[in-house]
Amino acid sequence: MTEITINDTMNVLEACGLNLWYGSQQALQEVGIAVPALQVTSLIGPSGCGKSTLLRCFNRMNDLVADCRITGRIAYRGDDIYHPGYDVVELRKRVGMVFQKPNPFPKSIYDNVAYGPRVHGETDRARLDECVERSLRQAALWDEVEDRLGDSALGLSGGQQQRLCIARTLAVEPDVILMDEPCSALDPIATAKIEDLIDTLKQRYTVIIVTHNMQQASRVSDWTGFMYLGRLVEFGRTLQVFEAPREELTERYITGRFG
Amino acid sequence: MTTMTGTTAPYLAGVRIPALRERVIELLWLCCALIAVVAVVFILAFLVVDSLPAFRETGIIQFVLGSTWDPTFDPPSYGILPLVAGTLLVTFGAMAFSVPLSIGAAIYLAELAPSRVQAFVRPAIELLAGIPSVVYGFFGLVVLVEWLRVTLSVPSGESVLAGSILLGIMSLPTILSVSEEALASVGRDLREGSLALGATRWQTIGQVVVPAALPGITAAVILGMGRAIGETMAVLMVTGNAAVTPEPLLNVLSPVRTLTGTLGIEMGEVAIGSPHYHVLFAVATVLLMVTLAINLGASRILERLNAVGSGRRVPLLAGGFLSRLLSGPVLAGVVLVIVAATVGSTAGPVPALGAFAVGATLLIAVPRLSSRQKERFAFVLVRAAVAVVLLVLAVILFDIVSKGLPALSWTFLTGTPQDLGRSGGIFPAIVGTLSLVAGSIAFALPLGVGAAIYLVEYRQDGRLVRAIRSGVDLLNGTPSIVFGLFGFSFLVLYLDLGVSMLAGQLTLGLMVLPTIVRTTEEALRNVPQALREGSLALGASRWQTINRVVLPTAAAGIVTGTILSVGRAAGETAPILFTAAIFSQRYLPTSLFEPVMALPYHLFVLSTTVPGSELNRYGTALVLVLLVCGIYAVAIAVRTRFQTTMRQ
Repeated sequence: MTEITINDTMNVLEACGLNLWYGSQQALQEVGIAVPALQVTSLIGPSGCGKSTLLRCFNRMNDLVADCRITGRIAYRGDDIYHPGYDVVELRKRVGMVFQKPNPFPKSIYDNVAYGPRVHGETDRARLDECVERSLRQAALWDEVEDRLGDSALGLSGGQQQRLCIARTLAVEPDVILMDEPCSALDPIATAKIEDLIDTLKQRYTVIIVTHNMQQASRVSDWTGFMYLGRLVEFGRTLQVFEAPREELTERYITGRFG
Repeated sequence: MTTMTGTTAPYLAGVRIPALRERVIELLWLCCALIAVVAVVFILAFLVVDSLPAFRETGIIQFVLGSTWDPTFDPPSYGILPLVAGTLLVTFGAMAFSVPLSIGAAIYLAELAPSRVQAFVRPAIELLAGIPSVVYGFFGLVVLVEWLRVTLSVPSGESVLAGSILLGIMSLPTILSVSEEALASVGRDLREGSLALGATRWQTIGQVVVPAALPGITAAVILGMGRAIGETMAVLMVTGNAAVTPEPLLNVLSPVRTLTGTLGIEMGEVAIGSPHYHVLFAVATVLLMVTLAINLGASRILERLNAVGSGRRVPLLAGGFLSRLLSGPVLAGVVLVIVAATVGSTAGPVPALGAFAVGATLLIAVPRLSSRQKERFAFVLVRAAVAVVLLVLAVILFDIVSKGLPALSWTFLTGTPQDLGRSGGIFPAIVGTLSLVAGSIAFALPLGVGAAIYLVEYRQDGRLVRAIRSGVDLLNGTPSIVFGLFGFSFLVLYLDLGVSMLAGQLTLGLMVLPTIVRTTEEALRNVPQALREGSLALGASRWQTINRVVLPTAAAGIVTGTILSVGRAAGETAPILFTAAIFSQRYLPTSLFEPVMALPYHLFVLSTTVPGSELNRYGTALVLVLLVCGIYAVAIAVRTRFQTTMRQ
């Protein structure tokens, strides 16, 4: 395990000694990571290495998996999120998530974006309108949909749907955005748009992105974690991880000499 | 393909013969599929032809708008308005019970229940679905009606309320299982998307999952409604059968008579060819039209919602009039007014005001709760819904098993009935039911499977396929008593089969045909396209592919569908009422042209016309329940087994 030293930023999410089992199968082993604020952190590694699982620990999405068991500690801004008294709904408001496959609700574009504010009690039409427009602008989708906000979200292209899902997440005004391979179902042009978007998002949000694609990690992220077989093998500045990896495993993976 | 090693010549020569064979086979399946259409046309034709004299005699206006139904009076009056009112009251009453209960229970099962609870509740629901309607009627008559009479201290419990509760219970499993399926098929990604935005589980259910499943839930409710409207035996046994329009209309303690009940009661006693006889066929025609309209409406709604769900337009319910109509507060207000009006019409103004006050308080209080409190409140409600459903099942089963067990004995099972069924056994009825079922399946299985093969494997679309599919849908929506009337008119009289086992078998077979077609269709559709392509790519012909790859893969589904049909046929009473069944018979039938005893009919007659036969009633009910549930248990076992072997 690499020692992590981060001096210039404050850590938003910190995990230590994190173990996770699906039934009897261990998916995460003694993972420790500190995610710096207002930066983009990427998690890379081969399929099944546990990177999505780790990501889903940060907003407790794994709660939905029937026989999932967790030990260790994850702190969000200092509070243990797996503490029995911790409010998971509040956590998910603060730690948003964008999924691998775009998953717009079968509602209109407007209602998709307004969904989050509405479930959190916003009923004022003017404020909702304002929030929907702001979120769609931030997600670089406004120009493409402003004249058809009432249309079904299911009629959008895959890339637009994914940006809609990002807008939907932004509308809740989260602190952290988790992205689980957000571009894996998209074509290169749509991917480029999302990557540009991620770059602008980090001015206001902390982003953690899981990706299969090492070029993507090196393009968009400031920090990179390499995972293998449920362990976090290496974590550091993206430049350092890609150009001077400390671990041999990391180097072999990055240079494509794996297995 | 006899030679695989020769030159190209034998190959080319071999092509023609399979091609011809393929076409013959396709034609064969087409004929099977057309049977459904032909059957619908025949049913309609025979009903309409037999009801025309009625319209001529009574006058269509007099018939449709007449407010008195008194066919035995002199002069007789044949106004079906009270019957229509009775049918509508009982049906909507049933929906008032079953829709909230079953949707609540479906939400619990699909969203909240741990898998251990699901594994326990699902078979229980299937059991509830499997209990034959005559057994429900019997239970309603001896337990429910009596309970209502004592609890509400009224002279008789035979009423709209009793019919509504009973029909509500009977339509529960349909609505519940179809809604649960609809809820469960909503993608996990949508749920996660909502939860990840910080919505509570209840917000996710109420604002994402249920709206996404709405087409399926709508279909479920309509199917349940169709079941309630078409039900004969149970309704007939508990609604009192007075052909009057309740005064005031929403007085749920008034007795009523439904369209189906009228047919069940009067058809057996009417002189063939008399004006009354033709009027009854006219009633059946009306009943059929109503159910057909409901089913057509349902499929329209479904088509539209489905098209919307995947298309570019906004869902039907986002914005617009319907959405406001269905929005929580408005809907709740309407329900509240109806409930208060019903209580008022039945029990007077004071209880009505009380009900209104309670309802209004809830309406005002609930929106003020925090989203957590709402969630807790909603979860309590859906849990309670499941508890009520299970309790109902437990009460019914306990009553029938505890009182039926003492009747069971070797002589009861193997003896013939004596003293009008008060003593002796039910052996001829058991044999009769089994042979009716065997005959009906022998008739319906090849036809149904053939039709499904044609629909899935040969023609997916086109005018003909749409006609066939509507034919199947219409048959499926046809009330069982209408099958009975058709069987009587066509098989018994026109084909001169007489009241006979054969006529009963054919009528029942026609009734279960759509079930077999649909389940087979579904099983065939579940076979992955890749398997077909794999086989075709190896040079197998279409029929070879179907026969060797598709059918074996779909076998489990087909077998399950067949067994379910067996259960349905075994429990039905209405179709055999006038076509095959006879009450008391000392000997077993020796040919297909003799009438037979049957368990459901035996139970019906014992409980409605033979006083002093309590023990044997319960015994017959228990045997019938055991028989049908045994059949369903086999179906479930087969399904589970095939599912597990398929997965490995």
